[in-house]
Amino acid sequence: MQPDVTSADGAGEREAGAGTAERWVTMVGGTALGLAGLRLSGSRHGSWAAAALTALGGGLFLAGAAGVPVARTVRETIGTGALPGVAGLLPLPEEPTTTQAVVTIGVPPGTVFRYWRNFANLPRLMGHLERVDVLSDKDSLWIARGPGGVELRWRSTLDKLRENELITWHTVGEADLPHRGSFQLRPAPGDRGIEARLTLIYRPPAAAGGRAVSRLFGTSPEQQAREALRRLKRILETGELPTVEGQPHGAYGRMQEIRE
Amino acid sequence: MKALCWNGVNDLRVERVEDPRILNPHDAIVKVTLSSVCGSDLHLLGGHVPTMRPGDIIGHEFLGEVVEKGPEVLRLNRGDRVITVSVIGCGKCWHCRQGESSLCDNSNPKPEYAEATYGHCTAGIFGYSHAFGGYAGSHAEYIRVPYADFNCFRVPEGVTDEQAVFVSDAAPTGYMAAEMGHIQPGGIVAVWGCGAVGLMAIRSARLMGAERVIGIDRYPDRLKAAQEKAGAETLDYTRTDIFDALQAMTGGRGPDVCIDAAGMEADGGKLGGPDSGRSGVLRQMIASCRKGGVLSVVGAHGAAIDRFPMGAAMNKALTFRMGRQHGQRYVERLFDHIGKGELDPSYLLTHRWSLDDGPQGYAMFKDKTDGCLRVVFQP
Repeated sequence: MQPDVTSADGAGEREAGAGTAERWVTMVGGTALGLAGLRLSGSRHGSWAAAALTALGGGLFLAGAAGVPVARTVRETIGTGALPGVAGLLPLPEEPTTTQAVVTIGVPPGTVFRYWRNFANLPRLMGHLERVDVLSDKDSLWIARGPGGVELRWRSTLDKLRENELITWHTVGEADLPHRGSFQLRPAPGDRGIEARLTLIYRPPAAAGGRAVSRLFGTSPEQQAREALRRLKRILETGELPTVEGQPHGAYGRMQEIRE
Repeated sequence: MKALCWNGVNDLRVERVEDPRILNPHDAIVKVTLSSVCGSDLHLLGGHVPTMRPGDIIGHEFLGEVVEKGPEVLRLNRGDRVITVSVIGCGKCWHCRQGESSLCDNSNPKPEYAEATYGHCTAGIFGYSHAFGGYAGSHAEYIRVPYADFNCFRVPEGVTDEQAVFVSDAAPTGYMAAEMGHIQPGGIVAVWGCGAVGLMAIRSARLMGAERVIGIDRYPDRLKAAQEKAGAETLDYTRTDIFDALQAMTGGRGPDVCIDAAGMEADGGKLGGPDSGRSGVLRQMIASCRKGGVLSVVGAHGAAIDRFPMGAAMNKALTFRMGRQHGQRYVERLFDHIGKGELDPSYLLTHRWSLDDGPQGYAMFKDKTDGCLRVVFQP
């Protein structure tokens, strides 16, 4: 999987190389800072998010994440044993997993910001979301369909809102998969518009880990994040999503479709 | 409606399928009047493009009449006689605004194939496999055109159907090949492949001021067309050593611009010998091109090329330009050239057949019998 990310420090480097290990350290270090904040605060859903987001806002976490392939997670890195010193700091069952994607959109920042700010728009970007009810300035109720049509509900609350720059949120109360999200905008060079970066940080519960992730984000969270941003770009730039669903094709193709 | 469907390697069938309908607000439905075969379809037929699915309607170079349009289509009207550029642009993304619509960010509904293979996805193309979006093609009575305001162009009065149909693909591809060569006064251009695209590249190079253009092929009727219709001197690569001949014709300098209008299917992929890895034309171009010259590639390539002669390319300071056609930026210019009598692509249409004869049409086009340059179907 190729990284779909660019940043000042990660641009252009695609394959794991000598420089990559350093970025892993930076990234995992950033995570460790976030978890340190969690342990200090002692709260499960509140401050750990804030602490990690502080690290994220400070750029340490992002600096690492932006330089590495999106598809690879902190968990995998630890699995390789590449980072013994840092890995030792992490309480394994609670280590958060990060998914990140970025896209350039050729419209003014306000257009992108306003679209994402209204969470009720998100089901159009994320296939598994059925609807998002905006309950107040800060609170929203998210309803998704998992495999087999199982309904999943959770509440989210906004953390930070910086006009045309940043939106962050996290789940509150009982959630199958507690997670935090950040949607960050910055101007792209020249007349290219803005760069929108979506970061999802989630912590699979020790028991139901993999299943909860796949229920919420599909089998590939990275792909889901990238696809959400691609749809956002396409809707905002062209007003529609390209499709070939419903176009004519030959009989043999129809038969094959039925079989599938 | 009737449509020509791909059902497997070298298995084309004319079938009854549903009529297309408007699926998005910027769509239009075009009733197809003329729809041409294209050399790039041979990759699909031969099974060299892995993302074809049985039942796919092929064809991408066509002329027709607008019969229906979505609510957001503002520039076109029912009854307009239009050509449609075969490579689909959204008209809004940064690449489309730069005039590079074949690099469109938005028109490919299935970007995952190209992203996995090429790192990024490029534009959708009509009837050209699911890696290029899986859009139903034009060898049918009707076709749905997305982003119709950007991709359809009204044909001016005085330009015939037979001239206009090739402004969909062959003419802009050849024109772009010549333009990428950045031809200077006194420049000598060599063009590998004298099919429709090569012939259009030859003529375009002349229009852009090339002193001499040399066309390279092996089919006598194509070499004759290159001479008589496009204004080239010609070389038959089965009779001549191309490197030696090009040096002899250019005072030992080599051509200033070398154009690949053949692609990976050149001579069935065998040009340059069994070890050339479908890159025989590129190797000849790199060796033959003058120092500091330009290589312009519009022939279709799909996969990797090993043992690429990078040393020669680097030390000779060659410039590589390439890409699928950004037709939307050339259509008006091409109609202008045709209107002034400076360009006439109509001779490319050597056979006008019914869509019912689709499979035979492709067989003849593939074997290049009966002086066939292009079979054009009339649905």
